[in-house]
Amino acid sequence: MNTDYQDPINSLNMPEMADMTFAMDFLLRAKEGVRNLSISLTETASPDVKALLRNHLKQGIALHQEITDLMIRKKWFHPYELNEQYQLDQLSAKNMVMIGQMNLFPDDTSRKGMFDRTPDEHIGGHNA
Amino acid sequence: MNTPTLAPHESMELHEALNFKTLCLAKSKLMQGLVFDQELKALMQKDVLQSTQQIAELQAIYARAPFQAPVPNSPTPITH
Repeated sequence: MNTDYQDPINSLNMPEMADMTFAMDFLLRAKEGVRNLSISLTETASPDVKALLRNHLKQGIALHQEITDLMIRKKWFHPYELNEQYQLDQLSAKNMVMIGQMNLFPDDTSRKGMFDRTPDEHIGGHNA
Repeated sequence: MNTPTLAPHESMELHEALNFKTLCLAKSKLMQGLVFDQELKALMQKDVLQSTQQIAELQAIYARAPFQAPVPNSPTPITH
């Protein structure tokens, strides 16, 4: 396992892999949105709230379809070729676990010194 | 204009829908700066525009929640 993030071997196919990851996140958000709205629809009573949620649900389903089509076309998602999908799943997981073990960021990430005042100063919360 | 107050459980659904949409908008906006594929970026931009519209619609109805309160104009959030 390679934990040196500066090794150029790690940038091989990086744009494709990054896009596949972002697209997968996008797809899952669209999917979660559709599910959340479906559940909300059965919890609401007011006609205008229902109409709004149903409208958003339709838009969500359409967006989910668009993301799916794009991902299939780019070969980032294989709903029919399941052994292709299996390989992608395993490689993505393996790759992300490897990235997870890298030391990518400085120890102190507070960056407080970059701001001219503390965020809570206006409410007198210096030490908040 | 007939604008009855929402039931508490409906308000909660709108609270969750609004926060989910807000986070999705943030993510689609931020990720456009990281994405390489221009078609994927365009689809994310579509989501930004659609989410912005949906948030406005959710806000309009959420304003009828029984616990609604005046919202300050200042962009600084209430974090306390």
